[in-house]
Amino acid sequence: MRSQVRGVRAGERRWGGWRQPVAVAVAAVFLVPLWFMLSGSLREPGQPPPRSPELIPRPLTTTSYDRAFDLVDLGRHAVNSLIVAALTVPLAVLVASWAGFAFLLLAGRARSVLIGVSFAALMVPLTALLVPRFTMFRWLGLTDTWVPLIAPALIGLSPFYVLLFYWSFRRLPPELFEAARLEGMAPFAMWRRLAMPLVRPVTVAVGLLAFIATWGNFLDPLIYLFDPDLYTLPLGLRSLETLDRTNYPVLLAGAVVATAPVVLAFLVAQRYFLHEERGAGWLGR
Amino acid sequence: MSRIVLEGVRRRFGETTALDGVDLEARDGELLVVVGPSGCGKSTLLRCIAGLEAVDEGRVTIGDRDVTNVRPAARNVSMVFQSYALFPHLTVRENIAFGLIVREEPKAEVRARVAEASELVGVEALLERRPYELSGGERQRVALARALVRRPYAYLLDEPLSNLDAGTRVQMRTELKRLQREVGATMIHVTHDQVEALTLGDRIAVLDRGRVRQVGTPEDVYTQPRDRFVAEFLGTPAINILTPEQARPFGEIPAGSVLGVRPEHLRLGDGVPARVELVEVAGSDAYVFLDGGLVARVEAERRPAEGEELSISFAREAAFLFDAETGERLDR
Amino acid sequence: MSERRQIALMLAPYVGGLAGLVVLPALVTFALAFSEYDLVRAPSFAGLENFRELAGDDIFRTALTNSLVFAAIAVPLRLAGALGLALLLHRRFTGVGAYRSASVLPTVIPDIAYGLVFLWLFNPLYGPVNLLLKWQGDSPTTTAWGVQPPQWLTHPNDARAAIIIMSLFTIGEGFVVLLVTRQGLPAELYELAALEDATAWGVFRRVTLPLMAPILLLLFARDTIFSLQWTFVPALIVTEGGPPPYATTYVPLFVYRNAFEYLRYGYAASATLVMFVLTALIVWLQWRIVRRWRKGFSVGG
Repeated sequence: MRSQVRGVRAGERRWGGWRQPVAVAVAAVFLVPLWFMLSGSLREPGQPPPRSPELIPRPLTTTSYDRAFDLVDLGRHAVNSLIVAALTVPLAVLVASWAGFAFLLLAGRARSVLIGVSFAALMVPLTALLVPRFTMFRWLGLTDTWVPLIAPALIGLSPFYVLLFYWSFRRLPPELFEAARLEGMAPFAMWRRLAMPLVRPVTVAVGLLAFIATWGNFLDPLIYLFDPDLYTLPLGLRSLETLDRTNYPVLLAGAVVATAPVVLAFLVAQRYFLHEERGAGWLGR
Repeated sequence: MSRIVLEGVRRRFGETTALDGVDLEARDGELLVVVGPSGCGKSTLLRCIAGLEAVDEGRVTIGDRDVTNVRPAARNVSMVFQSYALFPHLTVRENIAFGLIVREEPKAEVRARVAEASELVGVEALLERRPYELSGGERQRVALARALVRRPYAYLLDEPLSNLDAGTRVQMRTELKRLQREVGATMIHVTHDQVEALTLGDRIAVLDRGRVRQVGTPEDVYTQPRDRFVAEFLGTPAINILTPEQARPFGEIPAGSVLGVRPEHLRLGDGVPARVELVEVAGSDAYVFLDGGLVARVEAERRPAEGEELSISFAREAAFLFDAETGERLDR
Repeated sequence: MSERRQIALMLAPYVGGLAGLVVLPALVTFALAFSEYDLVRAPSFAGLENFRELAGDDIFRTALTNSLVFAAIAVPLRLAGALGLALLLHRRFTGVGAYRSASVLPTVIPDIAYGLVFLWLFNPLYGPVNLLLKWQGDSPTTTAWGVQPPQWLTHPNDARAAIIIMSLFTIGEGFVVLLVTRQGLPAELYELAALEDATAWGVFRRVTLPLMAPILLLLFARDTIFSLQWTFVPALIVTEGGPPPYATTYVPLFVYRNAFEYLRYGYAASATLVMFVLTALIVWLQWRIVRRWRKGFSVGG
């Protein structure tokens, strides 16, 4: 199939005509939370609150950050979050891509069953899993450790990622794997040498999503962690909030610390899947 | 009057020039085939006529009306896409009626026209089916019916037969021609298949890299090519090209030129010695591949054996002389 | 190692995880719903007692209503927003990459940081939102329209509105899915529509919507499920389940409190079960309705 280059139609103005201003306005609205997070964090704590909506606070200061790090051991919490993420994300991507690839190699019946179960698992509400999981980990003596936080990586963090990998692998030409099979290539080798290199955008996307989910995970740490030394960043923020609920600049400073890494990761990774014109990318079916 | 005229049409996409000054005319009621290798700009040409692409320079006239700046819907042309572009969620009937329904034509009228169009192409029995239930050929017909139902000035077909298997393709070729005669419409048919072009068109236009190389009846273009490209593009197997060196045994040609000899004009008998390297039989014809790179076409019954030593010759008047650099025909 | 063994090995973590972290806990919750359990003493069978108590529990009723109303309002809005974004930003024009990223950014923010921002934004007295509304007002307490601005965190309905508004910014996932779907639609169909003189609305109704319907349905179901659970963090952080009485206590918060603050696991499990059944019911209803709607999707109809 030749590639289609599409230009302007006859009797039509260049696209982006009315879309530009609307898009700018929409983007501005969506940037509101981040903007005010940042600007709010740069206010001086303890100052009387503003009288009018100010987009940029005066005076501009970073004392809130110092204060935030004083009140709560944010630095340590950040490191904890990083360690947990460093352990969870690669594991999740590994498990999800393995399972997704195995789906591909399975016979029809087994595959349908597993896909069905995965879909059903997607629909189970988190609240249904809270208590039993807690009970189980408590029984195993693993509360107040990071293990319950990392354990979900064993389902690839979510059956959705497994399915995503499966669909992406399925879009690869089957002859590729048939030829490999004839040459005597084993599944793991096929996964490593053939499948994974060809689905890089998906891997990046899943990695990003897994990172976002892990980094921002609030519920699990809330339930399982009691020792403040083990707290991850979300819990650290919670402590900050309970300590000084109305000291917004400080709270927002903590928020920025928690948000910056994820935003950064997103901006770096998004060009793999947000810039394609045609849907040949990771989700195109 | 439903002529289509293009004058000096240019279309650029960034750095590349898809159409480089195209002058073309499709006469009222004729089936014009635009043929050329992939990337030659034939699809772009069609889309410019339809208005799906604006032209950077030049003029497009449909039925004596300048439509260069008129939007697609107002040009009153129908298009059949290579992929048929049928709506998967609509039945065949609804697909055919799509244009009429969008224009909110009265229901009785719609029914009548859909019946008429579907009978013309032979899909009356499939009206309640959905596209995924149809074969390639059937989908093709539905796409045609949809184009017909609006009774436009002209029909634009973008490689409509390319996605069909060989047998269906030949069959649909004939159907298409019959249809065009019956409706009496002006049709511009785009394809990369030169056999299709030669058998289908009233006239054909050979396109290469955004320029029209030659326009004429299939016979004209085949027997009197204007340049080397046209000569090489049309004909199976491709024309033999001889450099002055290779031509010397047969006769002298000026330096800086090449000689083109069609395989069917190479006679096996007396003349220059040659050895048969390979013989391919294709039905009633046989292609004889000789050492030196020449190919001859003979009747299968008269074919030589592989390895046989024989002599070949050809009539000088049947050969074409081309400029080695520009490819232009020198001996018109 | 044989091929079969390797495949089994590849699947082992996932299947094991599914079994231990999803299937088993789900079954346990199902069992716990019929018991009384506080983590100290062994669980005692309680039959339908929990459900009887739930039926009479005002807080639960409020929580349930809150959750359902929230989903009923937020899900269609979110989906419409995601679709609108996708249709706005699917073509390539200058800066479109930046606009797409901007639309997805709020979704990326960790839940708790997100909650804290809105705690600030929605502060009735000093938060930027109300300050903006009061900016053009006559007096320091009224908006440009002369009325009091919404008391986001202190009035019940305003608080609920606040939670809904918060949910409208996090449509990044739906947006990306719809964006890629839209880009994958065959361009020829749109060109055909252009040739047939369809208006922009006509194109939307006859081409875009029908072709995207399957994905929209999937997202609708998924977002319903998601919305019924998402409210947890905002409710906990921003409104703390208040303002009294329990204006923004949603079922997830209800479950959490009963389980981890009041230590009534059986009771919490029964609430979860009720929620799950309701969710399944809603999704099934949606599927039925949309299926009938799709049947009537003929162009002539």
